[in-house]
Amino acid sequence: MRVLVVEDDAALRAQICESLRAEGYVAESAADGEEGLYRAQEYPIDIAVVDLGLPKLTGIELIKKLRKGAGSSTGPSKVPVLILTARDGWQSKVEGLEAGADDYLVKPFQTPELLARLRALLRRAGGWASATLVSGPIELDTTAKSLKVGERAVEITSYEYRVLEYLLTNAGKVISKSELSEHLYAEDHERDSNVIEVFIRRLRAKIDPENTLNPIATLRGAGYRWDLPRA
Amino acid sequence: MNSLRTRLLLATSLTLAFFLILGGLSLDRAFEASAEQSQQERMQALIYALLGSAEPTPYGALVFANDKLPDDRLAHPQSGLEAALFGDSAGLLWGSPSLSDNIPTPATQEVGQWRFEQLANRFVLLFGVSYTGDDHTPRHYTLMLTEESAQYESQLRAYRRTLLLWLGGAAAALLLLQGTVMRWSLRPLRRLVRELGDVESGARARIEGDYPAELKPLTEGLNAMIINERNQQSRYRNALGDLAHTLKTPLAVLHGIAERPQGMAQQQLLTEQVLRMRHIVDHQLQRAATAGSRTLAEPVTLRPLVEKITAALAKVYHQRRVQFTLDIPATLRLRADAGDLYELLGNLLDNACKYGGGRVRLSARREQKQVLLMVEDDGAGFPNDTAPLLERGTRADTLQEGQGLGLGAVKDIVEAYGGALRLERSTLGGGCVRVTLPG
Repeated sequence: MRVLVVEDDAALRAQICESLRAEGYVAESAADGEEGLYRAQEYPIDIAVVDLGLPKLTGIELIKKLRKGAGSSTGPSKVPVLILTARDGWQSKVEGLEAGADDYLVKPFQTPELLARLRALLRRAGGWASATLVSGPIELDTTAKSLKVGERAVEITSYEYRVLEYLLTNAGKVISKSELSEHLYAEDHERDSNVIEVFIRRLRAKIDPENTLNPIATLRGAGYRWDLPRA
Repeated sequence: MNSLRTRLLLATSLTLAFFLILGGLSLDRAFEASAEQSQQERMQALIYALLGSAEPTPYGALVFANDKLPDDRLAHPQSGLEAALFGDSAGLLWGSPSLSDNIPTPATQEVGQWRFEQLANRFVLLFGVSYTGDDHTPRHYTLMLTEESAQYESQLRAYRRTLLLWLGGAAAALLLLQGTVMRWSLRPLRRLVRELGDVESGARARIEGDYPAELKPLTEGLNAMIINERNQQSRYRNALGDLAHTLKTPLAVLHGIAERPQGMAQQQLLTEQVLRMRHIVDHQLQRAATAGSRTLAEPVTLRPLVEKITAALAKVYHQRRVQFTLDIPATLRLRADAGDLYELLGNLLDNACKYGGGRVRLSARREQKQVLLMVEDDGAGFPNDTAPLLERGTRADTLQEGQGLGLGAVKDIVEAYGGALRLERSTLGGGCVRVTLPG
């Protein structure tokens, strides 16, 4: 999952990005509102964390423009936005949410709280209600980052988890290899479609060793799709 | 005497009465003087005419022929007009046929001397005459003419009646005019008082009417004061907001550092201290930023504000699918700072969403001079001992992450407005926070 962090304070920005990377997110950052808007519109991000007090373009303006699709080649964006606000007044929270943000967090905050909110927003954007994504016999606990198939706990690596989480969150949607790699890797040079194929193959072997479930469908030339129904 | 209206009315009425009385008196005096003057002149003319009709006697005395008298009334007894001629020492020499008896002998007049007198019921005119007859001996006479003053008196009475009537009419008309002029002149003042009342009660944001030049400086001054008061308040709160922003970002960084793995004791100490700092900042800012009741605050229409908050909360508590029921009259306006109301209702509604079972009801209504707000939910309700809940940093449970500032902050705001807060049980099954605010 690719997260955009728009925060003008360098120390806090670095800290948030670091925590996000430690959690397996791809973190993207911007130091002012204009740069933040540009990145939010032109980069394939899954979620944005936006501070309200930003130079050049305030957080509220950024969100409004993002939602309107002003000056963007991709049109209005529905990407979930979590606002960070130092002004813990309800007026500013309400303003932010009214402008199009999806949730807020008051500074100073605890990192686990931020991560929990992000997970909840990502889930919500994918149409999932609970923290555990359940599809057929497969249960992916996004809080503990653990996988269960039926009663069996399955060990997966951090990269495998990311691929699975992305596919499962967007269950039913066709995800191209390039989209997957864009959302999973920070840098272009890391993106290698062969690696994605390897992860998919390994995931299939771990989840469905007997080939009875076929949770991940390969659509030739298009990409992959999670095919099991959501619980 | 403390009313401008009474003062003006009293002063102008007294002035009016004074000048009307003075005018009436001088008109009366002038008329009386001129009537007396004309009476005297008429009688003088009659004396000249009488003298003209005199006939000399062979022995040189002055005699009037009764058949040649210049005024018929002199020839008729009881006519009220009488003439008599007195000699220097001989007393009454001649009397007109109208002359009554017992006429006192008047004092001798010098030759050519007039003497006009008004007695109780008659005018008397005396004239000293020297007559030289054929014997060339000058003789000295005093001619007397008297006329009853009854006619003169009735003329004077008629004049006075007319005068009184006209002056009275004029006084009434003037009083009426004066009253009207005063009402008209004082109307802007009355309007100003009304508008100021509106500003105070919140029906109006500022004094808007077009006022006469004398009142303009006053209304402009008042408006400037109202705006200045509001501006100052918002400047003050903005400054506090900025303070919050600058303090909290480094605090967030410190917090992040404290979360990193290091010596357990050291980490705990750092976390504790950072949390303490955060609570202090939150608490002090909240207290300082609460605007509290201000007489010049612009009134806030409650319903749209609540709708904004519930729309925002519906987004945050998306997964809980919270159902909000609003029972707020669309016209209910509250004289309070909008930021304070956001804080008050935001915290209460947030708590209701967080700890409730998905149904939240907010009802508001005006009760006499107070506004009653009730936020209810269908959760577990409040514990029996509610006192600790209202202290800062306390939460009803530890199930969810929170700052524990909600109810404490609400209590501070309610107190700043001189209102009251009660925690009760709702008919929905959960907690009910009952807030009354003055105004």
